[in-house]
Amino acid sequence: MVIYLRSGGKLRDRLQPDVDQYTRRVEVEGTPTLREILTSMDIPHALVAFGFSQGTVRRLDYRPTEGEVVTLQPPVAGG
Amino acid sequence: MYGFGGTVLRINLETGQVRRSPTPESFAREWLGARGFVAKTIYDEVPRDADPLGPENLFIIAPGVLTGSFAPCGSKLGFGCISPLTNGHADSNMGGHLGPEIKYAGYDMIVFERISPKPVYLFVDDDTIELRPAEQYWGMGSLDLEARMKKDLGEDFQIATIGPAGENGVAFACITHDFGRQAGRCGVGAVMGSKRLKAIAVRGTKSLPVHDLPGLTKHTYDIIQRTKPHPNMEPWQKYGTALFVSWANEHGCFPSRNFQTTVHEGWEGISGEKLAEEVLVTHKACFGCWMNCGKYSRARIPGKPDTYLEGPEYETIALCGGSCGMTDIHHVAYANYLCDNLGLDTMSGGNITGFAMECYERGIITKKDLEGHELRWGNIDDFENFLRMIAARRGIGELFSHGTRAAARKLGQGTIAFAEQAKGMEFSGYDTRWYSAQLLSYCTADIGAHHNRSWAITADIELGQDTPVGKAPVVIYLQHIRPLFDTWCCCRLFWGELDVTPEEHVDAVRYLTGWDITIEECMRASEKIWNLTRAHYLERNGGPGRKHDVAPLRQLEEKIPNGPAEGKKVGTENFNYMLDDYYVNRGWDKDGNPTREVLELLGIGYAADNLEKRGLLGKPVPGGIPKVRGQKLKPKAM
Amino acid sequence: MRIKVDKSKCTGCKLCQQICTIEHYREINPKKAAIHIGAEFPVPGVFTPMLCVQCGACSRACPETAIERTGSADAFVIDASKCTNCGVCIETCPIGVMYSHADAPTPIKCDLCLKCTEVCNTGALTVVDSPRATSR
Repeated sequence: MVIYLRSGGKLRDRLQPDVDQYTRRVEVEGTPTLREILTSMDIPHALVAFGFSQGTVRRLDYRPTEGEVVTLQPPVAGG
Repeated sequence: MYGFGGTVLRINLETGQVRRSPTPESFAREWLGARGFVAKTIYDEVPRDADPLGPENLFIIAPGVLTGSFAPCGSKLGFGCISPLTNGHADSNMGGHLGPEIKYAGYDMIVFERISPKPVYLFVDDDTIELRPAEQYWGMGSLDLEARMKKDLGEDFQIATIGPAGENGVAFACITHDFGRQAGRCGVGAVMGSKRLKAIAVRGTKSLPVHDLPGLTKHTYDIIQRTKPHPNMEPWQKYGTALFVSWANEHGCFPSRNFQTTVHEGWEGISGEKLAEEVLVTHKACFGCWMNCGKYSRARIPGKPDTYLEGPEYETIALCGGSCGMTDIHHVAYANYLCDNLGLDTMSGGNITGFAMECYERGIITKKDLEGHELRWGNIDDFENFLRMIAARRGIGELFSHGTRAAARKLGQGTIAFAEQAKGMEFSGYDTRWYSAQLLSYCTADIGAHHNRSWAITADIELGQDTPVGKAPVVIYLQHIRPLFDTWCCCRLFWGELDVTPEEHVDAVRYLTGWDITIEECMRASEKIWNLTRAHYLERNGGPGRKHDVAPLRQLEEKIPNGPAEGKKVGTENFNYMLDDYYVNRGWDKDGNPTREVLELLGIGYAADNLEKRGLLGKPVPGGIPKVRGQKLKPKAM
Repeated sequence: MRIKVDKSKCTGCKLCQQICTIEHYREINPKKAAIHIGAEFPVPGVFTPMLCVQCGACSRACPETAIERTGSADAFVIDASKCTNCGVCIETCPIGVMYSHADAPTPIKCDLCLKCTEVCNTGALTVVDSPRATSR
């Protein structure tokens, strides 16, 4: 199935967007977790704090559904 | 002059005299505002042996060049003085709406001198400047007083207040504004209180002079439209800084129980998601910010009245929450409210209370010391009793009111080994045993352990968490770029989270002022300020520098007992390696003293002269100093 | 058209106030904006954007006929060449959204330029179509 991952900043460079400036189209086999998808793309898990879709935080064991757009939120400098 | 209010105010609180003078453009260009204005003025004017809570300390408020300017989040206001926590330069800035208001009233810096014989507040209404009686307000909570003054003076006024902690000289007292934005760190509230200055009330109705308004408008308008769909926008708008709680626990840097470990049992109960679910009332923005990361909340605890507060931010969740053993977001929110209204920094306050809880756990302090109360992990009533003792400097509260380092030194019994602080100021919310660049950042920071100078957590991940190699140059770069935002005085989150570049911020300065200024010039100014405050610190505290750049023993040698970072510690050898590397890359000598070469290169040769007179000047570096001090992080090859 | 206000989404950022004065006065000065942000703190902790709803009461009250519905936005706009700054419109406004400033030559009201809706990032200020209200 196809899902879409979005990110900004340095994480975007690793994502290599191809749909628009933030978004990468990803084809996956089965229904992998976000963690498994990141591993397959060689993106270190530690650089992703969580996923975010439909206004909800998604932990890295979340399994995206067909066509879902998931933002990858990097760890941030809390204040 | 464009971009600035135009006037510097000097107020002698002893005599009531107010002196106005035009802001010199050369001063503005050289020091850029806020942190820069404060650093230079304190360096020039405060005697090196001045007591931070005495009449010779200055208390300075200064917006920066970008404050109030329609630049992204041009909201911030700098506060500075000599810190009662570190006896060095204090630089604490605050978001909200007061900074722009001061600029719109026409002022670029307000310098308070001496001590008022009676409590007063500063009233500013454009050109009207008055020191008004504040005896009727003395003793009031910070938030309570702001509500009262808004009613008395009008909603148009922006208000900043201290609470009882500042009045009583608690070394980590803060200044509160807009019902929950703080100048939190360094004890600036104590210095304000030492001068019997209870509050500041400002209304400004003038326009800000702008060199190229169409250019500036288009520049920022385009950035607004570009960043609206940024991937990080929605999570930030929804959760604010609290969204970091989960990552910190999952990656072993969240402080639990006075930094005893780095994954907090029950952290899910104090996460950003819990905040949004349980306590959130309104999303709240600083001036000119469309990311609105502020969270205004309501804490509901059975048996207590509902309390309203801005927060809790990540730092408060980490330090009042995790480090004090809490697992209920309502308790953390209530703890936040207590700190705000008493006028205490939630970060130092949480850190010190966690330290005291460990002392209680070990039997070093007892119920007798606590007026019959206990001080148990996670107990909000115990937390409240203790905090009130500190704010009043009552009983054992007096001991802890001087900060963790001072308390540990007085208590003895090995407590300094688990006092998480650097240079006397408490660690902010990151355990560093698996993040050595962050430990280096904390221990070399000019103001004590604060990550706003350098947040190097992802640098540790990119460069390898288990190695000390390559960390120092990156920390130095961060120590220049991050405090540059405290000098321009706008929020750094648009750069940090929304890909607005430093160059774009400089473009805003150019449109605003008409200066032909570059990012290189701004970074050099930031490095100059860094070295100036280092020199100042050494003059006040003696040398060599290395003796002050000290890490807590727990971070160096006590392995994390469990969780994702189990077994990790930085190690003294690794820390010393990083420190050696840091000094080389700074152009300082191996003892951590700035050299004449670097100070003259930065245009502050007079600082070298002053250090030399006291025998504190760094020895010349064989082969010369690095051409460039600091290196931007290069991500791991992909 | 009109500006729809959803106060539950307002965060008090005042971007709207800045762009309003830039647009109308070529200045950065939130105190001259045609939109004010009410703030009820500490309790209940809400913001309320307040701006003209184009009811026309000011137009009917103006002794100089200086306020007329005009332009593509169909908003009530003050004609500075006719306005004597007498302030009757300010007193008449039924919801208190006619503002004044010492440096402004006329009272200040929203003219539906819509710039505020372009910068607002929360949906607190949006543009909606509305049937034209009857003017005098």
